[in-house]
Amino acid sequence: MKYTYVIKRILYSLFVFAVVITLNFFIPRIGVDDPAERYYPPQGNMSEIEYEIIKQVTRQQYGFHVSTGQQYMNYLKGLFQGDLGTSFRPGSPAVIDLILERLPWTLVLSVSTMLIGVTIGILFGVLAAVKRGRWQDTMLLNASTIMVALPAFFIALILSFYLGFELEIFPAYTDSTMVSGFTWTWEGIRRVAQNAALPVLSMVVGSIISYAQGTRNAVIAVTNEDFVLTARAKGLKQSTIRYKHILRNSMLPIVTSLGMSISGLIGGQVVIEQVFNWNGMGTLFLEANNSNDYPLMMGIMLLLSGFTIFAILVTDLVYVLLDPRVTVGDKR
Amino acid sequence: MEPILKLRNLKVVFPTNYGVIRAVESVDLDIGDRECVALVGESGCGKSVTSQSVMRLIESPPALTQVDAIEFNGRDIKDYTPKQMQELRGKEMSMIFQDAMTSLNPVMTVGNQIDEMYMRHQGDSKKEAREKTVKALELIGLPEPRTRANSFPHQLSGGMRQRVLLAMAFACMPKLIIADEPTTALDVTIQAQVLKTLRGMQRGCGTSLLLVTHDLSVVASIADTVYVMYSGKIVEKAPVKDLFNSPQHPYTVGLMAAVPRLTDKKKTFTQIPGTVPHPARKPSGCYFHPRCEYATDKCRKEMPPLMGQGGGREVRCYYPLTAGGNM
Amino acid sequence: MRTKQPMHKRFQRGLVKRIKNTGLFIKRLWSHKQGKVGLILVSFLILVAIFAPIIAPYNPYDVSERTTKGLAPSAKHLLGTTINTGQDIFSMLVYGTRVSLIVGVTSGVCIAFVGSVFGVMAGYLGGFVDTLIMRIVDIMLVIPTLPLVIVLTNVLGRDFWIIILIFVALGWTGLARTIRSLVLVLKNSNYVKAAELAGASRWHVMIRHILPGTSHLVIMSTALSSAGIMVAEAGLSFLGLGDPTAISWGKMLADAQSGGALLFGAWWWILAPGIGIFLAVFSFMRLGIVMEEIANPRMKQTSSVYKIFKSLDGSYIEDVFNSMDDDQKLGIPETARQGGKTHGTHLEA
Repeated sequence: MKYTYVIKRILYSLFVFAVVITLNFFIPRIGVDDPAERYYPPQGNMSEIEYEIIKQVTRQQYGFHVSTGQQYMNYLKGLFQGDLGTSFRPGSPAVIDLILERLPWTLVLSVSTMLIGVTIGILFGVLAAVKRGRWQDTMLLNASTIMVALPAFFIALILSFYLGFELEIFPAYTDSTMVSGFTWTWEGIRRVAQNAALPVLSMVVGSIISYAQGTRNAVIAVTNEDFVLTARAKGLKQSTIRYKHILRNSMLPIVTSLGMSISGLIGGQVVIEQVFNWNGMGTLFLEANNSNDYPLMMGIMLLLSGFTIFAILVTDLVYVLLDPRVTVGDKR
Repeated sequence: MEPILKLRNLKVVFPTNYGVIRAVESVDLDIGDRECVALVGESGCGKSVTSQSVMRLIESPPALTQVDAIEFNGRDIKDYTPKQMQELRGKEMSMIFQDAMTSLNPVMTVGNQIDEMYMRHQGDSKKEAREKTVKALELIGLPEPRTRANSFPHQLSGGMRQRVLLAMAFACMPKLIIADEPTTALDVTIQAQVLKTLRGMQRGCGTSLLLVTHDLSVVASIADTVYVMYSGKIVEKAPVKDLFNSPQHPYTVGLMAAVPRLTDKKKTFTQIPGTVPHPARKPSGCYFHPRCEYATDKCRKEMPPLMGQGGGREVRCYYPLTAGGNM
Repeated sequence: MRTKQPMHKRFQRGLVKRIKNTGLFIKRLWSHKQGKVGLILVSFLILVAIFAPIIAPYNPYDVSERTTKGLAPSAKHLLGTTINTGQDIFSMLVYGTRVSLIVGVTSGVCIAFVGSVFGVMAGYLGGFVDTLIMRIVDIMLVIPTLPLVIVLTNVLGRDFWIIILIFVALGWTGLARTIRSLVLVLKNSNYVKAAELAGASRWHVMIRHILPGTSHLVIMSTALSSAGIMVAEAGLSFLGLGDPTAISWGKMLADAQSGGALLFGAWWWILAPGIGIFLAVFSFMRLGIVMEEIANPRMKQTSSVYKIFKSLDGSYIEDVFNSMDDDQKLGIPETARQGGKTHGTHLEA
């Protein structure tokens, strides 16, 4: 039954999330007996006794004085209360606060990239499939051949160089006052859009082409199916065949690939935010990495993974709505 | 008998990187009113391409088609525009495909797929169409038609799916139905049932039927006239009884010998030696000569024409066999 | 089953066969237009990587040339010099090939090995092994790869080989999943069933019958994942998180950005490593895609049909049509019949 499938799917996502949480807990503990040593590595000019004291303090501060099992339980308890730990930053801010501060800025980039990429990508893909073998199709093929070999951050550098520094159409770096001086006015939104233009552009080219290529292949695969021949033999209008029979069925693989692509999008955005010095979670993550701020790093990791799990779950459920054949079996 | 379909000189080729595939070579076909014509041959002999060409379903690319006439119900549809063809398909001529699982859209209910026929060709509303669909399904012998109409193809059994295809093909009472291996994918017992239904429907609705198959037992039970195809050409045409009593082309003889029969106790089950020629590299002369035990030098050099033998029979052989099987 | 031959003889025969097959495979790649491009580019890059010290006119690590900072491309410095340290960019580009190729190809080969072993085990053994492996694959799928790589390099260190290890540990899942689904098909094929009925052990079936059936996928994926890892490595070193002692294209781009290449209009400093990355990734990807086409010719057919139609020779087709008529005394004329073949090769060109 369909409901059983949905419930199973949700439970499975929770299971995956639980495993990810556990991994998150243990990764900073790889290779050290005492997590305090990771959190506060010994410095050269420090005497043994001094370091012992510092470790003692660190253990108290981050709750490492109890057994590992107890630490894990405390970590879980904290998660349930929305507590991702405390950062190493001065003033010991809560990780969740730091993340929430940056989250909207990251979403500006990823949501607009996703929306533009998916819409234009699917439109292009359908066009290429309909005009199979003509110039539109060839163009897409050639573009994808070139684009897959160009890393997004290289495109970002070129755009920043050309459109930013040379032509001065868009800001080459994110304006630091964009965040601090942001207001909900047209002027404020316009400035965000202006600053986001190049980061989004550098990510969106690749995503348009990959969605277009996926859509094209899906549509062509469906066009070659027997039931399309049946539909033609029934004398249905070209438009009916195209929309009711071909496109509807091509949506299935496209929806799956959407869910799968999210993880890659998130990863890629880290580099792009760095290129443009964008004030998002990606740069926050790199800052955390440079200062070995493990609670912050792992907090971001957890959030990103949780988001991906959720997105994949949503696409799976949409798939169920679209495909009557799905019951309990694994579709992948 | 005024023919419902007169196909003249149909030629279809598929250009590929590996040469030109000569799928159909100058095929003539006549189907009379309410007649059941069978097109028989091994897979790859061009029979499916021929049948789809009748409905002009073969697209270019990938194919190139040349035909002198496709006279259907008194009109030549050879130069019909795509729009005109759409009007014709489903309404006056329709098709039943081999594998009902893949021939039905997996994400639409079977009812909706039949509704489409009525809505398209009879201008019915969704509701009227569904009423007719339920009736059609009932007629075709599907139990609980109203609930079954809301099922998706994967929820039905193979026999039921094939019946759905039948109901769809007969929906608008077309003049001609083309059935491309309609029972091949089914179990033998279900095969017989579906075949019986098909035959009953054909007689009842006064439809002509072009049956494309490789299965001679199906031919024997249902067809009036038989065309035997080999490597893109018609090699023999005869009324069904004559063909089974006295096949004249060595290939037809071979085909029949390859069918195991309960009545023949002594004759061994024989196979035609060799294989079907690749459609891009056909031999010179008669295409069948490399596999024919009676072949002479003439057969190796020249393609025999299709010669009338009287009694509505035609055979493409210089040395047609007589009843006894001797020369 | 076959009679046992002496071990070394069987090994020898297998080796000869393998070398012959490899030769044949390369020959087929070579006869494919795009495959030729890929092969030439890849061998070119390999040569550059091997002979880097001979090709590079300067020592790319030399940061003491303060007099030659920020030069534009010239005969002396083919791609100019860096603005902050005066390093020769062409020499850096040449040395960068080494890092990219070693990291990319080593990881690609290891990924192919690990991925196919896990994929075959999951598909053929099924049951608990399958569940376990596929659960791991699912979990890896949801953790964003680049952030995870960054965390792991932070914890484990940024040594060259550790980076490769991390790439392999995270990269095998996609291949394992594909191989698994292929194995599920192969498992039900008659020749595998025949071997099982003949009493072959599960390991024997897996190694002698299933694994060879997946070889085309494995070879293809080696090329494709090498290309993917090259991009990932470039991204990692661009973030300043690669091996700090190596010169890599990603790091060159990072240096260019932080060294003010954008500000001073030193476009060659950005373009050079970018083209390096592009060429390396492009050539490996081409090879992978062409291998896929060779192994799976149906993939390409749909689009090539249109090419054929564009180059169709009308009078030739007319001849073919005419040759089908019954009144043609000679059946198919010799030209048209033979023409099928010659015409085909003409179309391929």
